[in-house]
Amino acid sequence: MLKYIISLYFIFLVSLGWSQSKSVNLQPKDTIKKTERYGLRVGIDLSKILQSTLDENYTGLELVGDYRLKPNLYLATELGNEKTTKQEDLYNFTASGSYLKLGVDYNTYENWFGMSNLIYIGGRYAFSSFSQTLNNYQVFSTYRYFEEGEFANGSDIPVEYSSLSASWLEAILGAKVQLFSNIYLGASVRLGLLITNKEPDNFRNLWIPGFNKVTDNSKFGSSYNYTITYFIPLYKKKKEPKKQPTSSE
Amino acid sequence: MKRIKYLIVVLLLILGFNSCEKDDICVDGNTPLLVIRFYDINNPETLKAPSNLQVRGLLSTDTYGAIITNASADSIQIPLRIEDLSTTYNLSTNTTTDAANANEDLIAFTYTTKNIFISRACGYIVNYENLTTELEIDADNWIKSIEVIQTSIENQNTAHVKIYH
Repeated sequence: MLKYIISLYFIFLVSLGWSQSKSVNLQPKDTIKKTERYGLRVGIDLSKILQSTLDENYTGLELVGDYRLKPNLYLATELGNEKTTKQEDLYNFTASGSYLKLGVDYNTYENWFGMSNLIYIGGRYAFSSFSQTLNNYQVFSTYRYFEEGEFANGSDIPVEYSSLSASWLEAILGAKVQLFSNIYLGASVRLGLLITNKEPDNFRNLWIPGFNKVTDNSKFGSSYNYTITYFIPLYKKKKEPKKQPTSSE
Repeated sequence: MKRIKYLIVVLLLILGFNSCEKDDICVDGNTPLLVIRFYDINNPETLKAPSNLQVRGLLSTDTYGAIITNASADSIQIPLRIEDLSTTYNLSTNTTTDAANANEDLIAFTYTTKNIFISRACGYIVNYENLTTELEIDADNWIKSIEVIQTSIENQNTAHVKIYH
């Protein structure tokens, strides 16, 4: 899987390069008012679609959206559904559910004239409602006298633990690059910190939709997405003049 | 462009760490073994090691497994079947040194099992509950009496069963 992700990186790296290659006139003699477009950006996570087709144990879909509030501030959200089956050493389980993330993105990238790319940091509050099914398990024991070296069978009857939930905070580092007039390509990495985690009796939430893998003795999790989004312009606003730094030549 | 390059390096680093697996070795728990200690029937407070003890589990009818070698002088730790609710052991004395006086006794342990989830790496272990024992009576039992001290087996710290001989 990681191989594809890395390959994807290089594809996107090229697109980042292309989108930056416009030559810029440093002494523009224009009289056009500098305006910035405000609106809604909606799209979809490409990595989850790709992983759904490549990995038979995974299906997932994530819709993303953001709305520009201020020149550098965006209200952002992700809505998704994921289902995955994991084989551990001695057991096999399926986690399935939906999640909603709400928060803001803050653009730290200063665009040249006419461009609207983003390198942003963001924060989210996320909530997931899901179920886990223990498909089968074997019993761990180091002294296996009667089992002839194999682990004893526990059960092959799937047990579903439903109405589980978790919430977490997410810190995001990401970029959105304008490919064509209203089409953006984005990538982000996310670090999650679990706040609440409603776990079943005698099992654990090992994988939470939206949060990804839950590690033993740790509240942190990480995830990523690669998005393609479409910008729906709603209105234009005059660009606030930038304060000129006093030159000291 | 410089910032984008920097960002990509950071992204790659984070993804690299993301794919690390740390918690795949089980150290957090284990299915406990049954601990038996041997006492003197004439002096029930005193530990007494059976002479030349040999311990073998009954795998199927009339088929015994290998000799369990962790049998020290007055205490043995033996596994119980996880898939069944009963395990039979053959405890014999004097089998190699004094074959003429060899004496085999059969003990059946019956119990219920309880599956407990330990951690991501370990998955499930079993604890045993409602332990009872039954000594098969033959012409000359070297085991005189069996006492179950703890009916649930959750760890190997103390003896679960006392055998008087």
